[in-house]
Amino acid sequence: MIHVKHLHKSFRVHARQAGWLEAVRSLWRREYRVVEAVKDISFTIEKGEIVGFLGPNGAGKTTTMKMLAGLLHPTSGEITVGGFVPFEQKAEFKKMMSLVMGQKSQLIWDIPPMETFLVNKAIYEIDDRMFRETLDELVELLELAPLLDKPTRSLSLGQRMRCELAAALLHRPQVLFLDEPTIGLDVHTQEKVRRFIVDYNREHETTILLTSHYMGDVTALCDRVMIINYGKLIYDGELTVLTEKLAPYKRLEVRFAKVPDVRWEDYGEVVEIEDGNVALRVAREKVAEVSAHFLQHFHVHDINIQDPPMEEVITRAFQEGLHDS
Amino acid sequence: MIRKYIALLRMKYIEMLAYRLATLVWMTGAIVQPLITMAVWMNIDPSQSDAFLFYFMAVIFVERMTSAWDVWELDREIREGTFSNYIIRPLHPIHWAIAENVVYKVLFVAILAPIWAIAALFVPALRFDVTGGQALLFLAAVLLGAALRFLLSYICGLLGFWITKVTAVYGVLEAISLFLSGRIAPLSMLPPMLQQWSVFLPFRYMIGFPIDIVTGAANGHDMLQGFAIASIWVAVFIIALRWIWIAGLKKNQAVGG
Repeated sequence: MIHVKHLHKSFRVHARQAGWLEAVRSLWRREYRVVEAVKDISFTIEKGEIVGFLGPNGAGKTTTMKMLAGLLHPTSGEITVGGFVPFEQKAEFKKMMSLVMGQKSQLIWDIPPMETFLVNKAIYEIDDRMFRETLDELVELLELAPLLDKPTRSLSLGQRMRCELAAALLHRPQVLFLDEPTIGLDVHTQEKVRRFIVDYNREHETTILLTSHYMGDVTALCDRVMIINYGKLIYDGELTVLTEKLAPYKRLEVRFAKVPDVRWEDYGEVVEIEDGNVALRVAREKVAEVSAHFLQHFHVHDINIQDPPMEEVITRAFQEGLHDS
Repeated sequence: MIRKYIALLRMKYIEMLAYRLATLVWMTGAIVQPLITMAVWMNIDPSQSDAFLFYFMAVIFVERMTSAWDVWELDREIREGTFSNYIIRPLHPIHWAIAENVVYKVLFVAILAPIWAIAALFVPALRFDVTGGQALLFLAAVLLGAALRFLLSYICGLLGFWITKVTAVYGVLEAISLFLSGRIAPLSMLPPMLQQWSVFLPFRYMIGFPIDIVTGAANGHDMLQGFAIASIWVAVFIIALRWIWIAGLKKNQAVGG
């Protein structure tokens, strides 16, 4: 569905030092420097996949996404989305995709969302029956009924985001680009939006590329992640593999009736020992053995085995890089 | 396309209703400057008071009918990145602007025409006697004027892909047009050299030309020449707009996250 080969994007940025004198000087002597926002990125996304696009701020996620949506002209490289070259701006291309930007609303600010929906119906040439069906489905899934006739500006951020998603999906795009769809939302609404995205993808086999810096979005939605940093793709693969690769240990928490007097270092790295609770970082391949040993030899109240938090894993990926993947 | 326009017109109408007060202020605010200019001219040459009254009332009407605000909108939308939302949809953003222009200008007619009619009952200077042909030519000239101002404003707005705060550039054009379009004084009162220039520049056709038709100041030759030159400018602007649009999209940085 999406093919990207050797994609580059560089911007010419007007470089100016801060301060009055510098501001005056820049009136006649402008210095430019070239910023390479995206450097030689290649990947393929199949129909129906949900892929998470991760990276710190300024890594090139949004730039890449804007090129995929046809908003930005690539400096070099090839992109096709559903067989179209996005930047050619063909109407057929625009009808098969949608871009939702968490920070840029497409809803018309001072009138109710329903008006935006009706305009989109006309612009995307959606026939009456399909419009009704799709709208009903979206209203139900996103719980929009009470929101449709309130002016957009009076909606809360979460309510607006749900309407935003509906506006973007009315024409049933085959490809959906979500740029920070949960930004600024509370945990409950984030959860709602995530559940909707998963259900919608399953129902319609929509190909979804999502950027986010909430790890929760990615773990909840994506099997596959791409990590980008300094404009380079440093990882593309399954989330679980990434975890194993970067975090070859699990966190083992055990609550004992009485903390036994043993050398904990023999089992793993000690995170903390407190009031009968012991938390250890244990190598993945030893976890089963160690926990069996505890259960057999000591009086154990509770035992809990966890993957290390995603944040920790991804932060390590950003810091250390993953050039071998 | 008709359906798309119906939807856009409907939406813009509803949006306009949401801005009732602003729309009203905006309309009445635009009347102040011509009124002051009129008072000044009447004071300079009281014997021509009636002619000035008619002329400047006509300026108010034509100015509102041909006014263009798109450069402000585009400047903001491009600078803040919300313009992206129009680019990704399968309809050229210019249609949104056209629909908006239609809605507001229909409203202007609906308000200004009855006011003029009522005022003409009491003020003889406002009555005019035109043939059907003249009226049609006047309307055609207003339409051309509206197209010219709209296109110029939209072109300037698209320069926002290159320049931040492009409205400054447009401000300079507006200042020039204040003189050369006939807003500050009837064109016949300008120095001869400026009058000559004004024939070949687009500004005259934005306001002064339609008024000359309705006052009878323009004869057959003037009108033919006027329509020809105005049409050429419309064509030039359309070509420029297309070119700037394509080049601008390449330049577009689609700012904002």
